[in-house]
Amino acid sequence: MPFTAHDLRYRPEQSYPLLYAYLHRNAQRYLGSLKYDAFEVDTVVGHVVEQLVRLGLFAGGDSSPKNALDHLSDAQFYAFLSRSVHNKAIDRLRKRHFPISTSAELESTERDEPEDDPMEGAATSLWGSAPFSTPEEITLHLSSQLALRNVLKHCIQKLQAAPNQLQAILHELADIGADDLLQVLSEDFQLSLPSSNPLNPHLSQHKDHAHKKIRLCLQKESSNLTVTVALRLCEYKHLSHETHEYTVDLQTLAQDDLSVDAVHSALNELVADGLLSWHNGEEMVHLDSAQVKRLTRFYKEE
Amino acid sequence: MSDYNQDEGLSLPSNHQQQALALWLQQLLQEPSLPDVPTSLPTPRFDSPVELLFQGNYHLHFYQQLPDFCMALLSNDPLAAVHYASLLYHLVSCHECHSAYLDLYDSLRTAVFPQGVRPILGQGTRTLDATPHRMLGHLCQTLISQAEALLLQARHDHSDANQPARALLQLTLQISAHIVQGTTRREALHDLVRVATLFDGAPASQSPDSDAYAYSPALPGSSKVRSGILRSSRRQPASQPPDAPAIQLRARNLDGLITQHGKMLELHLQDLDQLLQGRFLCINVPLGSLFEPVLWRGGNPRSIRSTSPVDPNGSLVTPLGETELQLSNPEERNMLEALFLLLQVRACDQDAG
Repeated sequence: MPFTAHDLRYRPEQSYPLLYAYLHRNAQRYLGSLKYDAFEVDTVVGHVVEQLVRLGLFAGGDSSPKNALDHLSDAQFYAFLSRSVHNKAIDRLRKRHFPISTSAELESTERDEPEDDPMEGAATSLWGSAPFSTPEEITLHLSSQLALRNVLKHCIQKLQAAPNQLQAILHELADIGADDLLQVLSEDFQLSLPSSNPLNPHLSQHKDHAHKKIRLCLQKESSNLTVTVALRLCEYKHLSHETHEYTVDLQTLAQDDLSVDAVHSALNELVADGLLSWHNGEEMVHLDSAQVKRLTRFYKEE
Repeated sequence: MSDYNQDEGLSLPSNHQQQALALWLQQLLQEPSLPDVPTSLPTPRFDSPVELLFQGNYHLHFYQQLPDFCMALLSNDPLAAVHYASLLYHLVSCHECHSAYLDLYDSLRTAVFPQGVRPILGQGTRTLDATPHRMLGHLCQTLISQAEALLLQARHDHSDANQPARALLQLTLQISAHIVQGTTRREALHDLVRVATLFDGAPASQSPDSDAYAYSPALPGSSKVRSGILRSSRRQPASQPPDAPAIQLRARNLDGLITQHGKMLELHLQDLDQLLQGRFLCINVPLGSLFEPVLWRGGNPRSIRSTSPVDPNGSLVTPLGETELQLSNPEERNMLEALFLLLQVRACDQDAG
């Protein structure tokens, strides 16, 4: 019987031997000249197995959330495993510094499918390269997308409690010429632009601390969540002609992709930042025009 | 998926400011790198253990988002980058997760948009016993490492991952029982006690303790030459036939033995310190609570009180608990041996103090 992704998740002890056998066959197929090196074959197999454990699939049971791999058809899942083995085999061939002539050697071996040459397709793909294939590409995307750049603004804003660190970051932004972002931040914090201040003698130290805080903040799920909810507040606010206030209900903020708890958490964060007045348990967020202006300026305009 | 376009949606026109900001972000996000690892690998021996991919650089929270993120990109979800913003920021700073992302994206793309012949389906009737023991050992190490990662992440998140971590460790015990070679099995379970007792409030130290004896299974056939005298590492109790199955234990220069009478597991200790003579001992089996098929005497494997005091010769024989598992069955014996990877003994009145 073939195994399935479901078997790996719920019947790991029974399905591991079958998984091993399948990966082993593929590893031998893709390792070319290293196919008879038991250590290399097992290393490739081991790395794929570890990947499945780390992804929460193998032996994940119900405690590990299901992901895209669980929703592949059996044929797609086998294709996924086969390609994973292929990629790991290429890693091993490269790490062992196998010369390119290996390809020629491989071509002379028996081939039942064009994919048997592990080096084929290693550098280029029929579909082109993956998006976000380098850190440079990711940061360019992050800095050019308004919604993503808002997360950066949010994290810089969190430095308000440490004015020297905030000043160090504003200095850096001025140095690199990020004038638009600098302008928004300076207006919001009502700070004078750094160039008009004398240089802080501990600027470098403040900068290092600020970098660490921003780094952690950017990678926190809650930062993105807060920005998402702030943007939705700006987008879905409704003006009441009776009270002359803006309102948004929590369900509108949650939409289909956020839990009510997540919305609560984000609203509490915005309250802590002084951008809202909302209390736990209230089903509606009320905003006055000054709050709307500040939220919109900070999270939407640039 | 060839038409993913980062200029769609909310993007702004690229300009000098964005490029400068991107460069600054990259410098900010990339933490100081570790020293370079050698680029060429020494030729391994055929029996070398397979090393784990992740040695402390596994970021569970981000890593487990990768398949869904890749699939969102492959489905041309315009909000993929926004929904996974924190992951994207992380990928800039983490080489391991970024490499894993590229690998998974490529594999999923091949799965979703197949080119050429589909791979053959897995077939066979293989069993764990027929699987190379080196790979069973590697799987055990991976499962233990994953259990540790779950526990650490849960502590970070102020949540509870005891149940899934425990399930992984129990699976480890079951799989390790199929490893026949003692040294391979020992290597496979090297971190088991440490991880199983990571945050249980009473860490089971394997370090020397002046008040406690820490026993662990002796490797088969081991014998020690001490002070010029060759001593057998196993002394069978007089009540046991010479070839009766048993688990031999060692604590520095002391021997111990676990035997079985029917369902009852029995601990035999000898050459105990004079200070312990005439005193009752408390026995701690840290992995005991991991393993349900043993009904421990007194109900708590962390504190089993001996039924009698240490005799004037420094010996003690005391029951530990009952089990359906049989030491005479090789797999069940291996499982029991794993259970006793650490057995600590101390005088009961020391516990009270």
